[in-house]
Amino acid sequence: MTSLDYHRLGNFRYAIITLVGDDGFPFSVSTDFKIMPDKKIVLQKPAQPSKLDGKRVNVLFNHITGLPGGGYGDRRYMLVWGTTHEHHGTLTFEPEKVSEWDEKILPFDQYCAKTAPQGAKYLGKLQASVEA
Amino acid sequence: MLPFYLPDSGKFVVTSSILFSKKAENVKQNPKVSLLFSNPEGSKVGKHAVLVQGIAHADDSDLDHGWEKYLSYWRKKEPYIDAYLAEREKFGWFWKRIVVQVEPKKILAWKNGDTSKSPEVFGV
Repeated sequence: MTSLDYHRLGNFRYAIITLVGDDGFPFSVSTDFKIMPDKKIVLQKPAQPSKLDGKRVNVLFNHITGLPGGGYGDRRYMLVWGTTHEHHGTLTFEPEKVSEWDEKILPFDQYCAKTAPQGAKYLGKLQASVEA
Repeated sequence: MLPFYLPDSGKFVVTSSILFSKKAENVKQNPKVSLLFSNPEGSKVGKHAVLVQGIAHADDSDLDHGWEKYLSYWRKKEPYIDAYLAEREKFGWFWKRIVVQVEPKKILAWKNGDTSKSPEVFGV
């Protein structure tokens, strides 16, 4: 697991909780969050989903800045998988696994180079399906 | 992913490079997806939050050209994309792109992005 950088995490303004609903569709909802001194992540409990205790979720923290001429800059995200816990009306998030990108740390062209194995994997599967 | 709305069909489209194709792979396994528009910087719907749940179809039959018909939508959102296009050879695999169309089935909306309240729900 890539370790979670709580300092950089604290620079995000909101979180998006996603889990699979009873109908099988992903349900995503944005909410506020704060990081406590003991590094516990506390999420503002949304009205829905009504039951989040013990749920496997992913929580996305992301950021973009709109550019004057169009498009976006300062693109970054942390996608964290984990479990939510409800206790006395407080919703906490226990992180387990994180993937992330910050273009100020890894410029886009280098990010593309880093993800080349995923591209090769996709082409390999596609080739196999064509030949099957 | 950068979504485009196609008013003629009522569908959304995203295109994904094979470099970032995990979501497209997942769509092939399970077509139930959702698109959340909640950041005013990108959504342009003010502070409102909108969740679109729908059925996705990934088309990778023409990775080199299938996405090009959506370039005008893309250019409106990211004008600098032409600079990358000019270096298409350099970013070869970035320009091998899967087209994912999403047919909305249910839309949930939170006025002013207030998710402490239940969303309005619209069937499609």
